[in-house]
Amino acid sequence: MLLLHIFPIAQGIYMAFLDLNQFTLQRYLLAPFVGLDNFYAVLIDPGSPIRIGLFEAVRNTVIYTVVVTIGTLVVGMIVALMVHRNFWGRSLVRTLFMFPWIVPTYVTGLLWGIMWLREGGLVNVMLVDWLHLMPHKVSWLTGTNTIWAIIIPTIWRFWPLSMLMLLAGLQTIPEELYEAADIDGAGPWRKFWVITWPMLRPVWFILILFGLIYNTYSFNIVIMMFGFGAGFPGEWGDLMMTNIFRNSFQLWNFGTGAAASVILLIVMIMIVNVWYRYFKKAEDM
Amino acid sequence: MPYYVRKRIINVIISIIMLIILAITLLPVGWMVFSSLKSSTDIAIGRVGLSRNLAGQPVVHWENYVDMWKNVNFGLYLKNSLIICGSTMVLAMIFSTLAAYALSRFRFPGADFFSNTILATQMIPAIMYLIPLYIMFVKFTVLTGIPVKGTFTGIILIYSAFFIPFSIWILRGFFASIPKELEEAALIDGCNPFQVFRHVALPLAMPGIIATGIYVFLTAWDELMFAWVLTNADTMTIPVGIRLFVGNYQNRFDLMMAAATVATLPVVILFFMLQKHIVKGLTAGAVKG
Repeated sequence: MLLLHIFPIAQGIYMAFLDLNQFTLQRYLLAPFVGLDNFYAVLIDPGSPIRIGLFEAVRNTVIYTVVVTIGTLVVGMIVALMVHRNFWGRSLVRTLFMFPWIVPTYVTGLLWGIMWLREGGLVNVMLVDWLHLMPHKVSWLTGTNTIWAIIIPTIWRFWPLSMLMLLAGLQTIPEELYEAADIDGAGPWRKFWVITWPMLRPVWFILILFGLIYNTYSFNIVIMMFGFGAGFPGEWGDLMMTNIFRNSFQLWNFGTGAAASVILLIVMIMIVNVWYRYFKKAEDM
Repeated sequence: MPYYVRKRIINVIISIIMLIILAITLLPVGWMVFSSLKSSTDIAIGRVGLSRNLAGQPVVHWENYVDMWKNVNFGLYLKNSLIICGSTMVLAMIFSTLAAYALSRFRFPGADFFSNTILATQMIPAIMYLIPLYIMFVKFTVLTGIPVKGTFTGIILIYSAFFIPFSIWILRGFFASIPKELEEAALIDGCNPFQVFRHVALPLAMPGIIATGIYVFLTAWDELMFAWVLTNADTMTIPVGIRLFVGNYQNRFDLMMAAATVATLPVVILFFMLQKHIVKGLTAGAVKG
């Protein structure tokens, strides 16, 4: 525990203050101490090389995290309500819905990389050739389309987990509440917002919390979809993690990479704290 | 229209929508298997269906599933993945079971601090560990002559350390749900605390331990970033090795899809075999809140 957790983290934080690149790597922790220069390079200095593409990466990460977290929750909720009924073959359907969640994320990245192909990719074939929803084929893996090309597979991969959790939550809601609502003449829409959603609060609290953390640090799907690690995902497909990884292991710029991850960690702690506070306050009401 | 007829119709409509969603959900997986049976030219020129031979019959390229083992050393990567993930699962489960039991049963100074630290480790970006660990591994080898980077021991230790906090957090809930009275009864009957753990708590928590173990296995199977940096050509795992199908010298998307199918198969089998345990284990924490 101590050796493999605390020690590397302490080093990681300390590294953020060093001028560590391929020339000084030999001396590692004895590399020149440059104070806050790395943070200056990441945050303020407009001319430093690490800043290239950093703004795009941050913007994409924010959009990606928010859309994926909400998307998995919404799709998971809808399907959970659908399978929370009595029908023939219920357990089989529930199990089949879990399928995407077992597919490893690197396979998800590879697979959707093929599905987004302009010629012969399943998405274009379906939308253009079969359903005629779009007039011409779209290049999904270039330009602003890229962000959708990474968001949709991630939602596809992770919504079954939300469904499973929400379904387990649904089963704990006592039936009497709905019967009482029926007597009061409430419609299904109102019943959902007054009974179901508030009763599921502990579940979606956890789901959003872990969704925020996990999706901010998302790496596999993007890296496998674009050039299998060698390529650059493009300015609308680059996330923080892939950006830092590229800076560290392809440009050998460890110091600034560490500084960027320290900043990311601080932001993360703040977001989680705010979410906790908000939840505590909502619970007291 | 009577009430029950209307309800019936609504039910049928919901079921149809559900089946459509199910079809969309499963379609990508089907496409993966279908692509693995195409030829590499089919994918390169963007042909939607299978190519046809001179007699007009569609050609199914079953040989992709043979070629994939020869084209790159996929058997080795599969073996490495199994060894690494299996050992990680066993190691992580041993440590986290003991720690989780201790945390849920005995009050000792710093127990709360320890629990909070466990949660906090989940918030740290993996890349913050990665760079120092990478350099630590290299330095360790330079200083002592013992190779760490690129060995099974190194990567298994890292993975275990990575999954133990999370496992402790889940298992603690399982041990906490075992009634204390059972253990007290065993104590009165003359068991020592270790026997209580061995004969009472452990069997009762077994479903939870299995579920957590499978979850660890699935996550380790999925791990790319650490494996990429910390393994070499001999200890490469599937996520790292699968990239070799497409590179500077070849463009075999068909073989890559075949390999992806094979890589998905073990976890699918594992999941369907132990589905009940996993579902129960994963949802137990969330419902309790």
